[in-house]
Amino acid sequence: MTDPDTLGVGDRVGLVFPARGDLVVLARLVASVISARAGFDIEELEDLRLAVGELCLLALQGSDARHGDLQLEFTVSADALDISCTLVGAAPALQPITEDGDEALQLSEQILAALVDEHGRHQDDSSVRAWLRKRRRGPLA
Amino acid sequence: MEQEFHIAERLDRGVPVISVGGEIDVATAPQLRESLHLAITPEQSSVVVDLLNVTFLDSTALGVLVGALKRCREFGGELHVVVNDARIVKIFEITGLTKVFPIVDSLTAVGAS
Repeated sequence: MTDPDTLGVGDRVGLVFPARGDLVVLARLVASVISARAGFDIEELEDLRLAVGELCLLALQGSDARHGDLQLEFTVSADALDISCTLVGAAPALQPITEDGDEALQLSEQILAALVDEHGRHQDDSSVRAWLRKRRRGPLA
Repeated sequence: MEQEFHIAERLDRGVPVISVGGEIDVATAPQLRESLHLAITPEQSSVVVDLLNVTFLDSTALGVLVGALKRCREFGGELHVVVNDARIVKIFEITGLTKVFPIVDSLTAVGAS
């Protein structure tokens, strides 16, 4: 029988919210809960909380997100948690990322590189998607 | 319960000390940017940023601090960061900023109280 307080292999959780900076805290809160329920320890949980915030920032970077939504998806696998963040319903960037934006992007990349096992960002004409994979140190509870 | 974001400013022996509490992220970092911009002037080129009560910070917050540090140095001053929470120090470490900022773990270490 599945423990109601845990998430198991194949479980998915989605979260959609308006693409506003003041709401990124929602992504961090949900990441904390899901990480704990997916068997990550407290240090890994803190890493994921920070990493998810950076994913949201990467998705928002360089895009006109004033009218869009951020769509997060958390997927639990046997040894890892996969998280993707997609900016939907917003116009793509008309201008290159500013100098400040470049610096912020670089800091986000550095943070993600240190905290998670794999990460990436893809932008095309209609969407921006950032993703990460963090492997669990211990076995799934 | 999460601590509410707040900023307090004071002068300690003529040096501005900006104390921040709560979470500094993309939503709150602009307030810190504004405080630092006002505090750092050609006449007052050094500042202490007290992060002892900060519970979370992200790349946006780091970007604001880097920008403020550049401004301080442009005017011949320095920006000192006070932080003692291991989780916050880790973020400075993984971004290599411990080599850029003078970081200390107490206000007394920078001569403030």
